[in-house]
Amino acid sequence: MITGYLFYMLAFLLILFSLGVLMHSSPLFSSLNLVGSMIVLSAMYYLLQVPFIAAVQLIVYAGAVMVLFVMVMMMFDLKHEIKIFSGGFISNAIKCGLAGFFAFTIGATAFMSTEMISGSAKVKTEVLSVKSMAQLLFKDYLIEFEVLGVILLLVAVGAVALSRIKGGTHAS
Amino acid sequence: MEELVPIIALGVFVALFGTAIVVVTSLIGPKPKQNDVKDEAYECGIPGQFSGHSKVPVKYYLTAILFILFDIEIIFMYPWAVTFGDSITEGYGLQFLAAMGVFIFIFIFGLFWEVKSKALEWE
Amino acid sequence: MGSDLVEVLINSVKLVLIFLLMVQLVPILVWVERRGSAFIQNRYGPNRVGPFGLMQLLADAVKFVFKEEFVPGKGHKLIFYAAPVVALIPGALAFAAIPLANTFHLEPFMFLGESWGPYDINFQGYNVGIGIVFILGVSSLGAYALLLAGWGSANKYSLYGALRAVAQMISYELALGLSIVGAILVYNTFDFHSIIAQQAGALSFTISGRELGIPFLPNWGIFYQPLGAFLFLVAAFAETNRLPFDLPEAESELIAGFHTEYGGMKMLMFYLGEYGHMLVASALLVTFYFGGYQLPFVSHVMIEDMLKSFGLGINMANVLTAFLFFTVFMIKCLIFLWIYVWVRWTLPRFRYDQLMDLGWKTMLPWALANTIVTAVVVFLARI
Repeated sequence: MITGYLFYMLAFLLILFSLGVLMHSSPLFSSLNLVGSMIVLSAMYYLLQVPFIAAVQLIVYAGAVMVLFVMVMMMFDLKHEIKIFSGGFISNAIKCGLAGFFAFTIGATAFMSTEMISGSAKVKTEVLSVKSMAQLLFKDYLIEFEVLGVILLLVAVGAVALSRIKGGTHAS
Repeated sequence: MEELVPIIALGVFVALFGTAIVVVTSLIGPKPKQNDVKDEAYECGIPGQFSGHSKVPVKYYLTAILFILFDIEIIFMYPWAVTFGDSITEGYGLQFLAAMGVFIFIFIFGLFWEVKSKALEWE
Repeated sequence: MGSDLVEVLINSVKLVLIFLLMVQLVPILVWVERRGSAFIQNRYGPNRVGPFGLMQLLADAVKFVFKEEFVPGKGHKLIFYAAPVVALIPGALAFAAIPLANTFHLEPFMFLGESWGPYDINFQGYNVGIGIVFILGVSSLGAYALLLAGWGSANKYSLYGALRAVAQMISYELALGLSIVGAILVYNTFDFHSIIAQQAGALSFTISGRELGIPFLPNWGIFYQPLGAFLFLVAAFAETNRLPFDLPEAESELIAGFHTEYGGMKMLMFYLGEYGHMLVASALLVTFYFGGYQLPFVSHVMIEDMLKSFGLGINMANVLTAFLFFTVFMIKCLIFLWIYVWVRWTLPRFRYDQLMDLGWKTMLPWALANTIVTAVVVFLARI
C-alpha cells in the first residue's frame, strides 16, 4: 500500500520537475530541474525493485551526464540569448505551438496506452536481479556488450577531435 | 520497496534542517545597509576587473565528457565483479573472464589513446 | 519502515540519531584538526575556552549564528541559499547506509503496558541491498553543491573554484569506483553486512581447495586488497578536496574557492558537508578493508554470552554488545580521520596539472591493473 502512495508522490514530483525543464527560460534552471527529475526517476526504479538500475541511473545520469550539462550551462554567460528567446511575437508563437504539440502528444499517448492496458496486461513481473542482468550482459548479449565498449571508445575519440577544432565562431 | 521511505524521510529531514539553519541565521544575524562596494564580488579588496563570467577553457568540458564515458565502462564492471565468483563455481568463469578481458582491453586502449593524443594534458 | 509503532519509532529515532552523530562529529573534528595542526607545528592551538579549548567550538557556533546576513549583489539569491543545504544531503544519505554496529536481536519486552517485539535491529539508517553502489550514486551528487555555490555567488573566483573542484572530483571518482571493483571481486557482494561478515575470524586463503591460514592476523580486506585500499584512500582524499588535493581552495590563486562569498552558518554547512564526506570515506574504508565494526577474532555472540554470564538480561547484553561494536567502529573511523589531519601537514599541495595527471595517468591505470590481477587471481584460486 505504501508503495502505491510513494509511486503517486514520485510521479507527481517527476511531472513537476519535467514541467520545470520545459517552462524555465533559463537553460541553467532547466538543467537543474532535469537533475531533479533524474533523481526522482532513480527513486522510481528503486520502487520498481531494480535497485541496481536505480543506482546506475543516479551515478550515470544524475551524477555524470547532468553534472556536465550544469557545468557547461554555468560556463556561458547566456543573459543575452535568454533575453532574445524570452520575448517577442515569434518566440511566443513558437512556444505556444510547441506547448500545443506536446499537449497533443501527451494526450494521444495517454489515450493509446489506456487502450493497450485495457486490452491485455502483458506486464512482465519477473524481478531483474543483478545476477540475471550479468548473465544477460556477459553471455546472451556478449557481442553487443563488446560493441558497446568500442562505441564508447569512438565517442571519446570524437569528443577529443571536436575539442581540437579551431575556427568557426571560436576563432580567436 | 519499503526501504525508500527512510531514504526519502532522511533526505527531507536534512533539507529541512539545512533550510531551518539558513532561515534562522538570516533572521537573527544583523543586516547592515548594503552598498555598492560591498555588493561587488570579493577579490581581496581590489576593484573587480571583469564581470562574473569570462571564457572557460574547453578542457573542463572535455574532462567531464571523458569522465562520463569511463564512468559508464566502470559501471559495467560492477555486475560482472559481483557475479564473477558464482560464474566460476557454475562453470562458465572463463567465459566471464574473457568477456570482461576484451572490454577492459578496449578500455585500456581508449585510455592509452587519450594519453597519447594529449587530451588529458593540463598546462 | 517497520511493522508496528515501536519499530517505526526506533527506526525514525535511529535515522535522526545517525544524522546528528554526523553533525556532532564535525565540531569535534574541527577541534582535532586545529589542535592536531598545532601539535604538528609545535604551537598551542585553541586552548583558552574550556578544558583543552573544547568549548571553542560552542563559542564558534554561537558566533556563527550572529554573523551578518550577506548575499552578493549580482548573485542569484535562491541558488546562493540553496547550495549549502544541498551540500548537507549527499553525505548524510550516504552515511546512513553504512552499518555502524552488528544487527542485534531484541526479545519481546513490555512497553506502555503492552508486549512488543521481537525485533532484529540494524544499527544503520536503512539497509539498501546494493550498499556500495547506492553510496557511490548518492555521493556523486556532491558536485552540485559546489557548482551551485560557485555560480550563485557571481564571483569569477568562486566559479573557477567550483569548476576546478568538480573536474577534480569527477576525475578521482573514476579511480575510486575502480579501486572498489577489486574488493567486490573478492567479496562477491554489494551488501555491507555480508562484506563485514566475510572479514570475521583469522586470515585464511583458499587456493584451489587447500586452505592456508595465518592465525595471528585478522581476516581483513586490507590483506587481500592492499593496493585497492591505498588507491581508495588517495581517491577519497581527492574526492573530499582535502590537502594535498585542495586545489579548489588554493588561497594564492582563488581566494577561497567556491565558498569565497559565504560566511557564518552557511560556510559552516559546507564544512559539515565536507567532513561528512570524510566520515563516509573513512567508514567505507573501515567497512571494506578493516573489518567494519568487528573486533578482530571476537564475534558478537561471544561478547553477548560473556555479558549474559555476568547476569545481564538478554536484551541488555545485546544492546551493550552493539554499543561496544559501535564504539569499535567509531574508533577505527577516527583513526582514519586523524590520518586526514596528519597528511594535511605532511604533504605539500599539488599543482593542478600534476593533480589531473595523477588522477588519470597514475591512479586509473593502477586501479585497472589491480582489477585485472584480482580477477585472474580469484579465477585461479577458485577453479
